[in-house]
Amino acid sequence: MAEIDSSGGGKKGGKKRSKKMSTKIDMTPMVDLGFLLITFFMLTTTLAKPVTMQLNMPDKTDTKETSPVKLSETLTVIPDEFKVYYYQGIPTEASTKLQVTDYSDVGIRKVIADLKKKIGNNFTLVIKPAKSAKYRNMVDMLDECAITNNKRYALLAIDPASEELIKKSGK
Amino acid sequence: MPKVKAKRQSVSLDMTAMCDVAFLLLTFFMLTAKFRPEEAVTIAPPSSISEKPLNAKDGMMTISVSPDGGVYLATDDQLAREFMIERMANRYGVALTATMKKNYMSSEIVGYPAGAIRQVLSMKPSEAKDKGFLKGIPIDSANNELSYWVGYAKLSNPNMKIAIKGDQNSKYEVFSDIIGTLQAQNINIFQLITSPENRPK
Repeated sequence: MAEIDSSGGGKKGGKKRSKKMSTKIDMTPMVDLGFLLITFFMLTTTLAKPVTMQLNMPDKTDTKETSPVKLSETLTVIPDEFKVYYYQGIPTEASTKLQVTDYSDVGIRKVIADLKKKIGNNFTLVIKPAKSAKYRNMVDMLDECAITNNKRYALLAIDPASEELIKKSGK
Repeated sequence: MPKVKAKRQSVSLDMTAMCDVAFLLLTFFMLTAKFRPEEAVTIAPPSSISEKPLNAKDGMMTISVSPDGGVYLATDDQLAREFMIERMANRYGVALTATMKKNYMSSEIVGYPAGAIRQVLSMKPSEAKDKGFLKGIPIDSANNELSYWVGYAKLSNPNMKIAIKGDQNSKYEVFSDIIGTLQAQNINIFQLITSPENRPK
């Protein structure tokens, strides 16, 4: 197969015929290996690229005066694990009514959309996740802001007054 | 009269074309494959309608939060990683050996208290993971090690972007602690990693 023909050229004597080798090789194992590797790379590669949500928090060192937000134009939402509390106004005032809804599209989304329609572009959403809230709940609320096209929102820590309000309402 | 011979059909077929296609696909997948980044724990991020792809230009630091509240840190910037472990070891008085450094550099994830650096880095990353040493970085106000890790990373690469990958069932409090830690260092822009979801009508 792989030997060097050292005899000089010229044909003489009896016709010496080298055995004709087939040029075809069996490619089955090679194809097998090829497909095995394809399968491996197809399974390990990540096709679903993660997406991100940008969250900008205010600069704490920045003491620049920010435009005040009217109380009547804000809605405070308190996402909890399975439900969302919301109220308008100051939590310590007796007239403040706490209401509760859920995360469905006829729940908090409708509340936000309706109020945004009523108030207009100055509508501000204040998000104060409850102590027992999950990370998912906060992302859901930010998502609701994106769905309702609401660019004005603030993410704050929950205050004792709001907690008291929830406790009192017993919902 | 010549004899009429029935033509014999060969049973072996030409596989060259199929082989060509197979290897073409193989090459494509090999070149485009980006391996799933290693994770200390499995994290299922919440879904959102956001469509922004992850911007990983000039360095990315991912802070992961496991369902039970463990905080893990991963960076793709190798220079920053080296800088971080040197400073951390220096701060906590750990003598860094060549083996420890090698073990540190071979895994992208940091997820242990500084007190356990010597113990965790004396073994291979996979071994440390199997033995359950990757418990997370402490972030409570008394001992906030995350702030040191992030601080040193930012010192090495000021343009580094911060992504937060929280499990959907992790507590919001952990997230708020992380945000507080980062805000104390004047880092105010975060990218929250989520899985895609269709926009409702």
